[in-house]
Amino acid sequence: MDKKTVTTISYLSRLKIDGEKEEKIIKDLDNIIEFVDQLDDVDTSNIEPLTNPLEKTAKTRTDEVTAKNLKNELLEIAPSSNEDYFLVPRVVE
Amino acid sequence: MTIKYKTIKEIKSMISQNEISNIEIVQEVYKLIDENKHLNAFITLNEENSLKKAEVLDKSSSNLPLAGIPIAQKDLFCTKGIRTTCASNILNNFIPPYSATVIENLEKAGCISIGKTNMDEFAMGSSNETSFFGNVQNPWGQKLVPGGSSGGSASAIAAGIVPAASGTDTGGSIRQPASLCGISGLKPTYGRISRWGMIAFASSLDQAGPMARTAEDCAIMLNEMCSHDEKDTTSLNDKIPNFEDNLNNSLNGKKIGIVKDLDLSSLDNDVVAVYENSLKEFVSMGAELININLPNLSLSVPTYYVVAPAECSSNLSRFDGVKFGRRSENPKDLEELYIQTRSEGFGDEVKRRILIGSYVLSAGYYDAYYKKAQQVRRLIKNDFDSAFKNVDVIMTPTTRGPAFEMGSKGSDPIQMYLEDLFTISANLAGLPAMSIPNGNIDNKPIGLQIIGDFLNESTILNFAHMYQKVTNWHNYTPEGVRQ
Repeated sequence: MDKKTVTTISYLSRLKIDGEKEEKIIKDLDNIIEFVDQLDDVDTSNIEPLTNPLEKTAKTRTDEVTAKNLKNELLEIAPSSNEDYFLVPRVVE
Repeated sequence: MTIKYKTIKEIKSMISQNEISNIEIVQEVYKLIDENKHLNAFITLNEENSLKKAEVLDKSSSNLPLAGIPIAQKDLFCTKGIRTTCASNILNNFIPPYSATVIENLEKAGCISIGKTNMDEFAMGSSNETSFFGNVQNPWGQKLVPGGSSGGSASAIAAGIVPAASGTDTGGSIRQPASLCGISGLKPTYGRISRWGMIAFASSLDQAGPMARTAEDCAIMLNEMCSHDEKDTTSLNDKIPNFEDNLNNSLNGKKIGIVKDLDLSSLDNDVVAVYENSLKEFVSMGAELININLPNLSLSVPTYYVVAPAECSSNLSRFDGVKFGRRSENPKDLEELYIQTRSEGFGDEVKRRILIGSYVLSAGYYDAYYKKAQQVRRLIKNDFDSAFKNVDVIMTPTTRGPAFEMGSKGSDPIQMYLEDLFTISANLAGLPAMSIPNGNIDNKPIGLQIIGDFLNESTILNFAHMYQKVTNWHNYTPEGVRQ
């Protein structure tokens, strides 16, 4: 874990790391990765990954509309919106 | 009449005997909250609605199972019209337009949602020190943490403010604070309770559950919290038993698994003594101790710290300042809006976990970390599957010790992560597990963990209830043994 890696993953995470905290974060992440590296020693050949304890595929249901249209309620709690849309800073000049 | 330190069962009886009115109960709860402000157990109160609901209940005599019972709700559950923050600055102003299924279920059963309890930010923490709204205090001692992440819920029950609360548990967030605050708390089987409307942290591990003074009250709560929910694709459609039915079953001949691989040498002698004393108690009720092997148990913490951050980094990508929650001011473009909003909105621990998640999921590292951890996760689950062929439950201490002091874990995050050493494996395997008080060390409570087989909450509750019938630890309060 070095400065360059942390810069890359913070961008992937859309997070900005304050200069003063950078050193501590690099150290913390390094320790955490070193800690989880002990998994390397485990023999997992021919072991299927377990993604979910239920291991069931997604269920299907009857194709009926059950959701209510919450458009107004949802637009109302947005930081910025007009009658129909969420508003963000201009993307295309 | 007072409801302080009373159980759900006792309050129900007080209401039905007309010893107290619903309005008096709610008024007393808010008086207790006020007297215990220093605990910082609540983020948002729901006083006006609660008084109204109590007034309606007083005019009708309701037979609903939780009619008039004041319950505190963890601030991770969406509550329609009531601010829901997840203890994060990024949701500081979020008022959901709908309620979580579990909240609807509890309210349909007649309960009064008193307020929203403080917690670690996005449920990431084991001491309630990561909340944007400040630490919660453990009523057992001024400087003590209540545990986390459901620390506000545990603290409110331990202080006798409410008889019960909702909690959520991703790696121990119900059981660890239950242990540190001297109350009972159950994490059900993954899929037992709908996750719809629960703000997601790690979707394959998160599960809601009841927190209360007694195992019996947890059963009463669990009966109402469970339901099959089409809105959650991982919600189980299995039969939901009445969890009160088997509470009094005899333990004669039942088998308790004792984990041989568990290294208790790092624990204080007092903690080991408390644990061993409670095993003796079960033996005297006719249960048998069986040695079992869980050879991969020690890998549960590192496995968790790959799986949980990976899922968290994905789940928390929805907080971008566009559709809801807090947005940073005057971003110059969309990219800056995302970055500034998230950087200002999340606290350090949440950021750390998102970064770890992005790292283990990134190209080139996915197989080495994420896939590897999921393979080890299967090994851990296989260990439990084998063990449960021979035993009814597995018992361990819930925590490495009683409540610790705020700030005492220092600045190394791994020291805090190891708090969940005994609890995490149940989440990885999806199994139900509970913590019940089983002793006091230096006037601080500590808990016993009972892990059950898949969908076997009833057996756990049976063991816990029978233990509470012959012991008194669940009646200890910071002010002495309750009557």
